[in-house]
Amino acid sequence: MLEVKNVHKAFGHNEVLKGVDIKVDKGDIIVILGPSGSGKTTFLRCLNFLEKADQGTMDFDDIHTELKSASKSVITKVRRKTAFVFQNYNLFQNKTAIQNVMEGLTVARKVPKEEARQIAQQALDKVGLEDRYDYYPSQLSGGQQQRVGIARAIAVNPDVLLFDEPTSALDPELIGEVLTVMKKLAKEGATMIIVTHEMSFAQEVASKVIFMDGGVVVEQGSAKQIFTAPKEERTSQFLHRVLKDYDYVI
Amino acid sequence: MKLDTKFMLETFIDVLGGVPVTLKITIVTLLVSVPAGFMMALSRAGNGRIGRRIIIAYVSLIRGTPVVLQILFLYSLLPTLLNYLIKEILGLEYNIFRLDPILYAYSVFILNTTAVLSEVFRSALSTVNQGQMEAALSIGMTKTQAYIRIIVPQALVAALPNICNTTVSLLKSTSLAFMMTVRDITAIAKIDASFGYNYLEAYLVIFFAYILLCSLVQGVFYLTEHSVSSYRREKAIRKAPVMQNG
Ligand SMILES: Nc1ncnc2c1ncn2[C@@H]1O[C@H](COP(=O)(O)OP(=O)(O)OP(=O)(O)O)[C@@H](O)[C@H]1O
Ligand SMILES: [Mg+2]
Repeated sequence: MLEVKNVHKAFGHNEVLKGVDIKVDKGDIIVILGPSGSGKTTFLRCLNFLEKADQGTMDFDDIHTELKSASKSVITKVRRKTAFVFQNYNLFQNKTAIQNVMEGLTVARKVPKEEARQIAQQALDKVGLEDRYDYYPSQLSGGQQQRVGIARAIAVNPDVLLFDEPTSALDPELIGEVLTVMKKLAKEGATMIIVTHEMSFAQEVASKVIFMDGGVVVEQGSAKQIFTAPKEERTSQFLHRVLKDYDYVI
Repeated sequence: MKLDTKFMLETFIDVLGGVPVTLKITIVTLLVSVPAGFMMALSRAGNGRIGRRIIIAYVSLIRGTPVVLQILFLYSLLPTLLNYLIKEILGLEYNIFRLDPILYAYSVFILNTTAVLSEVFRSALSTVNQGQMEAALSIGMTKTQAYIRIIVPQALVAALPNICNTTVSLLKSTSLAFMMTVRDITAIAKIDASFGYNYLEAYLVIFFAYILLCSLVQGVFYLTEHSVSSYRREKAIRKAPVMQNG
């Protein structure tokens, strides 16, 4: 469904991505792991053209494009097929929860208002916010805001959902509610690419785990293979480190 | 010394006749300067280099010189220039010196207020975080749609207190319009006073006239701010009922 090859991206002299590939099939739950600064966020942003890659190609169903020279209409098409959930939610502060969700439907896709409202309600119900339609972001907790962010993303019915550390800005007691929603989506067959540091969540839902370091994919495989029998030294070192931290927190 | 209260009352009534002129200058200036200042702030945020340089130069020129000087310059220079243009170059018979002086007042205050507001809007735009723009793009909105529906409304609300300040100081500086022979509040008071040298009384009267007008402006802005910024105000209220769900 989606295949991206040889993505390169540099900020000035800082080469952040040095040829990253990814292949996504329908229903895949791909978890990207890696140390801080390894380029995970940058890679995800390149997929949605929030960042323009210096090199690389994308095949997305019938779309074929160079990442660097993608035309406006191709970028719009790709954005229609994907949706992004941000680390800091990035909700529209001047819109209520339901308006946040409707915006992508009524404005970007010209869905009639009544229909959009119904879709938005369904999306908010799905993330457990049936009693928060008319709340402004500033009236919601972090976990609730992130669930609005997820509702906004799923409402436009994207082929692929992109998550960039959706829980890392949350207080520990609010992480669970967001992960629960994401697990539910996974179970319903959504296709997702998730950057996260939540290891047990990754182990539980991932159909494929990608380990990135220094701007390249060091290793990829099933969750079981990566977590129990990593082939690369760097992978096992990383897992050793984060899983230790993880035990430590518990 | 005794204040001539009868004179003060008469002057007050005369001065009321100048209120529309004062308000007219203020309002016309705002009607032009708010959109113009906003466009400038937007184009400064964009990536046109030359445009940005011109705007920066314009803003520092205006903000770096006293309004009085700008008035003197414009009022003595512009008519002569226009006269030359009309008579010598276009060969028309029109006496530029018969032009309504309020037009010069508009020009000075518009030039001034636009510069100030462009800075106000620039800082207001920077208070809306870039993430909201990205979120809008990521759900398929265009940049223009994101500006119109998300960024600009929030920037306007953030700018309201400073627009209020700008309006109040604009209203006060319109009192300099008398220098261009515009019959505003100040000019009328000065004329009334000049007959019997009751300057103190006349100035006291317009002192209160300006206080009244400025309070009125602040009141209007206060109400506007409260009705449009509900989405921010709630923050403080949120703490009260803790309703957990999910
Ligand atoms: N807009 C930018 N301008 C300049 N450098 C950037 C920019 N965005 C990211 N970088 C740099 O790119 C590198 C990779 O950043 P990135 O955010 O992709 O890492 P990450 O893997 O997501 O890390 P983390 O786990 O901390 O989120 C970092 O060295 C960062 O400083
Ligand atoms: Mg990151």
